[in-house]
Amino acid sequence: RPPSGRRRHREPAAEGCPPGNGGSMRCQVSVLYFARSAELAGLRCETLSVPRQITALQLWEEIVKVHPRLAVIRDQVVFAVRQEYVLLGDQLLVLQPGDEVAIIPPISGG
Amino acid sequence: MDEGEDVPKDFIKLKSEKLSVDEVSELVISPYCGAVSLFIGTTRNNFEGKRVIHLEYEAYTSMAETEIKKICRDVRQKWPSVKHIAVHHRLGVVPITEASVIIAVSSPHRAESLEAVMYCINTLKATVPIWKKEIYEDEYSWKENKECFWANSEK
Repeated sequence: RPPSGRRRHREPAAEGCPPGNGGSMRCQVSVLYFARSAELAGLRCETLSVPRQITALQLWEEIVKVHPRLAVIRDQVVFAVRQEYVLLGDQLLVLQPGDEVAIIPPISGG
Repeated sequence: MDEGEDVPKDFIKLKSEKLSVDEVSELVISPYCGAVSLFIGTTRNNFEGKRVIHLEYEAYTSMAETEIKKICRDVRQKWPSVKHIAVHHRLGVVPITEASVIIAVSSPHRAESLEAVMYCINTLKATVPIWKKEIYEDEYSWKENKECFWANSEK
């Protein structure tokens, strides 16, 4: 908090970001592909524009639109959003610009 | 005795160079501990009758380190007397018989470090984003740990 007696300059709300209407807005996220998903997508990372509020399953569908070959592993993968695992289901994600979203095929460390 | 000079530490490393059992055990040695327990995961030369030429590992490194730190934190909650924990995992090509993972834990008495090492490797296999590709003579296969909570190998 700024010390009393000194007020921070407040940035005006960014244009195009009215409060309470995140559903139609998109943002750029970093999508990371690993193991088999990297082979199917043909790349290891890219920036995609996706809706800010979206279920995990809807996010998967968005990514499959860009890389249809990923469809074959749908039943085996989960996401890691900001490095937390998320199953491909109805969980609502609230994404921020620059968030990392990773496609995580079944792991085999150790 | 003042154990303040020997603060419990976690040593986590993902690297492509050959792993060293000496190096990893020396990291966890402590004058207050009578036990160091070790697990070494090595690469086998066969799978379902196929000859394995070598393994290749890749990782989501930043998240893998975070998940291993969580495992260390859990170990210290379950076994508070554990002193130091070291987890080294190799990435890239791992030739047959070489180590892909070494885990070492020290504790004053042996029960805790033995149990903690087992917990570490079992939880690593279930939660840490690292992938292994087995290279055979004519093909390759991405492996799936049975511990992986979202994988269903029967599908």
